[in-house]
Amino acid sequence: MRELKDKINSLIIKVVALSGIISLLLIFGFVIKEAIPALKEAGMEIFTSFDWYPTYDPPAYGILTMLINSILLTIFSSLIVLPLGYIVAFFMYDYASDFEKRMIKGAIDLLSGVPSVIIGMFLIIYVSPWMLEIGAWSAENILLASIGLTILSLPYTASLMEEAMSSIDKSLKEGALALGTTRFTAGFNVVYKAALPGIFNAIILTVNRIIGETMVVLMAAGGANMLPLSIFDPIRPLTAAIASEMGEVEIGSIHYSALFVSGLVLLTISFILTLTSKRLSRRWSK
Amino acid sequence: MIISFSSKLIIKGSNTIFPVAQLWIEELKKENPDLEITLEGAGSSTGIAALLNGTTDIANSSRFLKEKEIQKMNEEGKYFAPIVVAYDGIAIIVNKKLGIDNISLETLKGIYTGKLRTWNQVNPNLPKKRIVIYSRNTASGTFETFENKVLKGERMAPTVKMVESTQFEIEQVSKNPYAIAYVGIGYVTEDVKVLKVENIEPTKINILNSSYPISRPLFMFIDVTNGWPESGAIKEYITFGLSKKGQDLAEKAGYIAAYGF
Repeated sequence: MRELKDKINSLIIKVVALSGIISLLLIFGFVIKEAIPALKEAGMEIFTSFDWYPTYDPPAYGILTMLINSILLTIFSSLIVLPLGYIVAFFMYDYASDFEKRMIKGAIDLLSGVPSVIIGMFLIIYVSPWMLEIGAWSAENILLASIGLTILSLPYTASLMEEAMSSIDKSLKEGALALGTTRFTAGFNVVYKAALPGIFNAIILTVNRIIGETMVVLMAAGGANMLPLSIFDPIRPLTAAIASEMGEVEIGSIHYSALFVSGLVLLTISFILTLTSKRLSRRWSK
Repeated sequence: MIISFSSKLIIKGSNTIFPVAQLWIEELKKENPDLEITLEGAGSSTGIAALLNGTTDIANSSRFLKEKEIQKMNEEGKYFAPIVVAYDGIAIIVNKKLGIDNISLETLKGIYTGKLRTWNQVNPNLPKKRIVIYSRNTASGTFETFENKVLKGERMAPTVKMVESTQFEIEQVSKNPYAIAYVGIGYVTEDVKVLKVENIEPTKINILNSSYPISRPLFMFIDVTNGWPESGAIKEYITFGLSKKGQDLAEKAGYIAAYGF
């Protein structure tokens, strides 16, 4: 009887796992299939041209500006989120009392439940007028989008990093303390090194999340297809372009297909990031 | 007959016409609760493409057929009839604090193509501040009309901020003293200033007789390859839309009735 139960259970698990793999393959297949017409028609121009004029005559389908915008925004936001996230995680791991820890955890859980569209609205209504006051020419810009992305991904980053540090054996920290290190050194230099694979994983997952985030950048990044020179310039990342145009584009046209090329680029970036993270953490843990 | 087998009516297309169509459907359903109508706002091009492959009964469009579409229609041996359902003017809006009342098409083109970057280049009396330019995204019918009538084939500057909704444009123009945007006349609110274009105000009569330079008729297209629908849901819908009541509703949605006042 028990054997039968085990068999059924393992069968269910296998089916679910397999369907996950199959749907990933199907998603890739679907996006590639829809992207092929644009790749055939416009060729390499898609990746090398700065001009995105899909509805003009003659049309131009260059996504390079948007790709660069995506990457710049991700780097800029990561530079804010990652150190902040680490500081919060470090404090939770090492210095917070049980009560403080529970408070912070609760706040983080609440914050991570806020839908991104609400954060977008908050930015547009309350933060964007302030942008004009500090001298930005455009109320929606890189800085505004980065603030939104920070609010959105900080809870995620902090809790992932905290988990990575908590999973390190307590004896390591106690050993370091016993050898006479200060509390700060024990946490910052010793535990940190042991937790590095986990922290690195958290970094990659955060970057992955920022580059794929759509609603906040659609609402707050400004929507201009230009190469930015300052953090007050409006930009348009790939995700925003897809979200903005997919609803009104003629299905089956080259424009439609070019949006799928953008999607494919994003999917590839995120796939490579995940793969790298798995590789590195495996190598470290050996 | 196209739809004699079912009373279900499918309407797709322009987001500009969406509110009008919605009002019509609500009113029609009051009189005839059995009528099944699905309405989908997906952009003019999508509506016409759906009419070409037969997945919609009526295509709403904020522009006439493009040459490419006419060609395809001919190739497939189809014939679409255009019906003007209302007129729409595209209003140029700026912040109330900006000291400007009139704008020429040439200046407008200069702003949107990026040749004029600051307000004092438009008029020396205006402050030397960077112009913050808003536009609807490239797939919208309003964008296409603006592009045809104002840009005349030239490309919009990359610094133009493409946004999804007209309400957002109005909101931002009302907050930012140096912003400019174009919106369907029906959406204009008290919070922003509407400019005259070439000294012509976008009033009802000026839009209806097309003396206001950025105005356009709004269409619905139906497939009449097998003849004009003489009965059935399509006929009922069109008749209502063009009736006095239907046109009043078009006005209620903020457009100009196509058949007189």
